[in-house]
Amino acid sequence: MKKIVVGGQIDKKEVAELVEKYAQGKFEVETKSDLEAAMALKNGTADYYFGACNTGGGGALAMAIALVGRPKTATVSMPGKIMPEEEIREQVTSGKIAFGFTAQHKENVIPILMDELSKLS
Amino acid sequence: MDIIQLVVVGALGALAAILSNTGIAVFNDGLRPVMPEYLDGVISKKELAATSFAVSFGLVIGFGIPVSIGASIILVHSLLLMTDIIGTWTPDGKKGMIIAGVIGAVYGIALTLGLQAVVDLFAMLPVDVLGALGAVGAPIVIGFAVFPAVAVAYQHGFNKGAITLATSTLVLFIVKRFGTFQLNEQTSFTLSAEGMALLVGMIFMLIFAVQVKGESEDNQNLVSIFVERVTRIKKNWIILSIVGGLVASATSLTIIAGDPISLNLLSEGKFGEAALAAFARGIGFIPLVFSTAIVTGVYSPAGTTFVYVAGILLHGNPIFAFLAGAAIMFVEVNLLNAAAKGLDRFPGVRDMGEHIRTAMNRVLEIALLVGGAMASEQIAPGIGFFWVFGAYLMNRTAKKPLVDMAVGPVAAIALGIIVNILYVLGLFAPVV
Repeated sequence: MKKIVVGGQIDKKEVAELVEKYAQGKFEVETKSDLEAAMALKNGTADYYFGACNTGGGGALAMAIALVGRPKTATVSMPGKIMPEEEIREQVTSGKIAFGFTAQHKENVIPILMDELSKLS
Repeated sequence: MDIIQLVVVGALGALAAILSNTGIAVFNDGLRPVMPEYLDGVISKKELAATSFAVSFGLVIGFGIPVSIGASIILVHSLLLMTDIIGTWTPDGKKGMIIAGVIGAVYGIALTLGLQAVVDLFAMLPVDVLGALGAVGAPIVIGFAVFPAVAVAYQHGFNKGAITLATSTLVLFIVKRFGTFQLNEQTSFTLSAEGMALLVGMIFMLIFAVQVKGESEDNQNLVSIFVERVTRIKKNWIILSIVGGLVASATSLTIIAGDPISLNLLSEGKFGEAALAAFARGIGFIPLVFSTAIVTGVYSPAGTTFVYVAGILLHGNPIFAFLAGAAIMFVEVNLLNAAAKGLDRFPGVRDMGEHIRTAMNRVLEIALLVGGAMASEQIAPGIGFFWVFGAYLMNRTAKKPLVDMAVGPVAAIALGIIVNILYVLGLFAPVV
């Protein structure tokens, strides 16, 4: 079973609950500190990374960007701007493995991300 | 507006833009990991500029500026997120550095004068709404002390959170009742009840956090993987100390504030409480700022944000504040390795950072919403609540929603303008 780690900086509990809900048992979900989560992704002990913060790219993805490289990451929402659904799906299909978003938009983006991820596996 | 204030804010704008231009320091935590990609040639200047604009501009407009207008102190995000953008948009090399510096200085000064002009403009409106707008921050001034209890609940569960909340509340009551001491017949000394409640909450928060011990070596490993990047930050200690000094100096002149909580406390003249709130937030930022700094080799012009605490405590003394801020930055930069070790030993403290920021956000979201509603109700009695509730819930369905925190202030400001237009049209009668 593929594993999703929840890192990022804020609202981790809520993000993990949402991921768990939409995973529908198809993914293993674990919450870690952003550093440990990014490390897990780098070492291959986790397959995907979710993280929230206030900017969508800062605390949410900083460690993941630094450890696995920016090409593998996607900021799917920022303050005042949510990526359109098709674009979010494209990010997943194009092989991004770490996703950051603004905590305020978690209910909007997690269902889409999880739906597309579950098609992959 | 006096000249010293403009000189300090101009110098801060200039230096911060230069630091962003040279890739030494950027304020946005999300831009920091992108900087080394540019410096290593992985992405182009154009892409860097586009990224910095994307991650920062929305926050300047949707968060920094609205929160600043309510209290007429600049929320530092309005200044330093913009200098991030200025630095990445200006060309490389010596010439680019000079251009960045000049635009940064002009922006800093224009922002300060502009905010004053907006406040003056509001004062000239036929229906006076300025007093009412001041109410936006009122719930923060009273409500901020609750955040340690919320943070404890997030980190250690409801029960420990409730114990912290109960104790803080008890302290609040006791100090409110018995906290005034008569020194002699003329002078008395009053302890701040909110300040004491906050302090007690923070002590609980720290005690719970240090009990979580760890053997992990993640942060230390990080330092050894990214040793060159840590060295890069240390190499720039002089210029980082200067910018830290300028941030503290600008704070001491109450031109800027580091976060909406201390901003609103400062605008009420509650310096002790503002310093405590800024200190707590600083603890919350240590793990994030240090870990992103270690892996990127790029620092923040405000460091771990403790420079604001120095600025607040030394209010009215810009020169001493400068020296203290510079000293704090110097220590921070040189502590990078030691701090990584410390964060490994106390994972509870590292986690606490995340919970402090989550809790502060929650408190702010509610406080600014309630504040916005109270201000709106004061501006247009009987309509204000309708207006703000509508704005808040509609915003959630918007394609490009405002940051939740900004809805209250923005709605109140908008209502202030609308009632003035309606007054001119004869459709609104102000409350006398």
